[in-house]
Amino acid sequence: MERKLEKFFYDDNIVKMFIMATLFWGGAAFLVGLIIALQLAYWPLNLNLDFLTFSRLRPLHTNAAIFAFAGNAIFAGIYHSSQRLLKTRLFSDFLTKLHFWGWQTIILAALITLPLGFTQGKEYAELEWPIDLMITIIWVVFAVNFFGTIARRREQHLYVAIWFYIATIVTVAMLHVVNSIEIPVSFLQSYPVYAGVQDALVQWWYGHNAVAFFLTTPFLGLMYYYIPKAVNRPIYSYRLSIVHFWALVFIYIWAGPHHLLYTALPEWSQTLGMIFSVMLWAPSWGGMINGLLTLRGAWHLLRTEPIVQFLIAAVTFYGMATFEGPLLSIKSVSALGHYTDWIIGHVHGGALGWNGFLAFGMIYYLVPRLWGADGMYSKKLMSYHLWIALTGILLYYISMVSAGITQGLMWRAISPTGQMTYPDFVQTVNAIRPLYWVRVFGGLLFITGYFIGIYNIWKTIAMGKKVSPVEQQAYALTFKDDSNENAHRKLEGLGTVFTVLVLVSVIVGSVIEILPTLSIHKHLPQDEQILPYTALEQLGRDVYVTEGCYVCHSQMIRTYTPDVIRFGPSSTIAESMYDHPFQWGSKRTGPDLARVGGKYPDLWHYRHMVDPRSMNNQSIMPAYGWLETKKADFYSLRKKLSVLRTLGVPYTDEQVSQADIWAEKQAEEVAAQLEKDGAPAGLKDKKIVALIAYLQCLGKKAKTGTDTSKWNNFPFKKVAGGEQ
Amino acid sequence: MSDNPNDKYDVVLDHEYDGIQELNNPLPMWWLWTFFGTIIFAFIYWIHYSVGGGMSLDGHLQAQLQQIEEQKQLEAKNQPQKNEADLETLPKNAAVVAQGNKVFQMNCANCHGDKGQGGIGPNLTDNYWIHGDGKMTSVMATIKDGVLEKGMPSWGPIFKPEEIEALAAFVVNLRGSNPANAKAPQGEDKGS
Repeated sequence: MERKLEKFFYDDNIVKMFIMATLFWGGAAFLVGLIIALQLAYWPLNLNLDFLTFSRLRPLHTNAAIFAFAGNAIFAGIYHSSQRLLKTRLFSDFLTKLHFWGWQTIILAALITLPLGFTQGKEYAELEWPIDLMITIIWVVFAVNFFGTIARRREQHLYVAIWFYIATIVTVAMLHVVNSIEIPVSFLQSYPVYAGVQDALVQWWYGHNAVAFFLTTPFLGLMYYYIPKAVNRPIYSYRLSIVHFWALVFIYIWAGPHHLLYTALPEWSQTLGMIFSVMLWAPSWGGMINGLLTLRGAWHLLRTEPIVQFLIAAVTFYGMATFEGPLLSIKSVSALGHYTDWIIGHVHGGALGWNGFLAFGMIYYLVPRLWGADGMYSKKLMSYHLWIALTGILLYYISMVSAGITQGLMWRAISPTGQMTYPDFVQTVNAIRPLYWVRVFGGLLFITGYFIGIYNIWKTIAMGKKVSPVEQQAYALTFKDDSNENAHRKLEGLGTVFTVLVLVSVIVGSVIEILPTLSIHKHLPQDEQILPYTALEQLGRDVYVTEGCYVCHSQMIRTYTPDVIRFGPSSTIAESMYDHPFQWGSKRTGPDLARVGGKYPDLWHYRHMVDPRSMNNQSIMPAYGWLETKKADFYSLRKKLSVLRTLGVPYTDEQVSQADIWAEKQAEEVAAQLEKDGAPAGLKDKKIVALIAYLQCLGKKAKTGTDTSKWNNFPFKKVAGGEQ
Repeated sequence: MSDNPNDKYDVVLDHEYDGIQELNNPLPMWWLWTFFGTIIFAFIYWIHYSVGGGMSLDGHLQAQLQQIEEQKQLEAKNQPQKNEADLETLPKNAAVVAQGNKVFQMNCANCHGDKGQGGIGPNLTDNYWIHGDGKMTSVMATIKDGVLEKGMPSWGPIFKPEEIEALAAFVVNLRGSNPANAKAPQGEDKGS
């Protein structure tokens, strides 16, 4: 059969656009990171402004780093390398542009809504439902564009980088859709359909695999293209590519529960999460080995070429992070490290070292080529960027791991008679505050490197000559007979079958782990069940979510002696069975709140919220003064309770139809007592009253408890002699 | 795979993508055995903790809590109980009161005022007591167990026994100190 030579152009303009977006949003993500690092070291920088408070900005930082910085970098690299690896222009210019502008709109929406407190309270999935819908649509646009490109390819077999891109696209779609099933209560608020332990499991299945399939697989794909291109050496081992790809894709999806060790999650699920994390070590290192050993015969480039240095440093950080990850997943190690800054150090080793350096290495490789310059403007500035940023990452990492281990050890320091050595939580925070300053300095160095990079890139672009698109030539795809090849080689020629197999690989672990948990609340014995929140408590819970309290406070006392001694009996599954969303948290910058109800008087909470230092002079918590001036929206409660009821919370018809009255009456009582005790008058319709009601019920909703509030029994039955 | 002596190193495959070639090197042995090792570990661990009788996290916790409880009882037995008369001498012991003051300022002053004049919590300097009679044993009990429905936390798990004694001594010693801005009396007059 005659092969037809076809002519076409690559779309490099879109790559340039995504690179610009990466650099722009990267700067924003780093700066917000620096601000919140400063706020932890020096609390007055919260500035008493709600939208600049740590608990509102931290979600903005994580979302910007993951979806804006890493996201745009991935899209730039995938669109650039895929066209070349598949020898075709992208499927549709329209979809390409829609993808770009749609994604930037999503980021902009996040930038506006998160500081304003519109959040679902689930980490890395905070964005509210309209934005979730936009993400879904744009991801489908990306998928159609990408798979359309594969369909139009002129290369029979798919290269390993493409395998990783496929895994990214199908798995992220699955994770996002499943974790974002929620019911709107208003334009910018919704409740997830999952509650408590289910929500926790689905969320960390999502959260962990966002790391896996948004920050790992796409970057491995980029590594498989840009390292061999930069060093001009063949990939070390095709066989290793196959084994580690499939092992990684199959095993990664199981590892989510390692974020929930020692919690109320059933133990079999925790154990699965741990052992699959341990088994993930070698498959992860397979990628590192293939990246590093591709340099064989070209090691000298590591001495002279900053691009190669960036890429290899990235792969090295990948190796470190994927060793540390399985280590932290071992139950007894997690007991020490969970809720501490060790985890913060761990993710920044990955995000700054692996994602950051790989992105910068790739950008330095691409900028001169795309903008028509003979190499970067200054090699020396690239070196400065590398070494300054590297020092920054190491300072960040070492200070946070030290802080985490120090605080973890202080939390568990207990005498043989159960006496805590550091009973006041704030003592353990004070001990690590100097390390928060080291972290600030590390972050500052990383950002300094970034600005050096921006200058260098700007000068390079200014130097560039106008490039007109180069005409490419390739033969139209004719499927050669590959029946004498091995099975995997044949599979590489079958894009659809390959994609389906990837999907099956990630569905197996997901179904086995998640499905049994979905019915868990139905099987709880009656006497273990709890009472739903009163309308006011639920309203206070929404304030808790809006302010992002979960960013610093857990609501999960682990099945772990030091936790039980410090905070009370370990949390049960039932205690969060009506929690849409769960608020177990993942970090304790402040103490656990699962049993804070009744521990302090209402007035203590009032004063502590308005000025934390007045109740604990060493506290680093921001002041939440606006809670005593902003009004609580009682009227929204009818809709909220009705949505919660459809999700299985047992409210009566009257409770739903009179939700606002229910809340107002309880609020009046709380406010009257507050006023009597010395708080200002007129708090009854303020957010702070709802929040206090919520905090005071934490850990006290057991049906069999002796201390249940009369407000649980609303509406009161008329009995002789007035209200009950 | 790689223990096969026929495996050839650095064989370039006929794959080529945008100039990128691939070698067909065998999997590194140490890598493969690490992988197998983790799988074997995972298997054994799973068996041990699912059907092999490995102790559950809760079992572990209960065992530790019981150990702590036994240790507590042992120490309580070995420590001679101070009788009421011994305890009532403590508020007159300046060193003990000074130690109590230190603990008070760090933990109690936020609610009871730095001089015990009261705030969120009641005034501790007058003759009126809500719980107990203002004697050492009853003040110690209130500190140790708290009065949860009134918002007084239980400090038993936090303070050492001698700290609770010192703190109570400080509080008892406050009586009649008559500080400025004292909160109005609450509870019953127990006399001086």
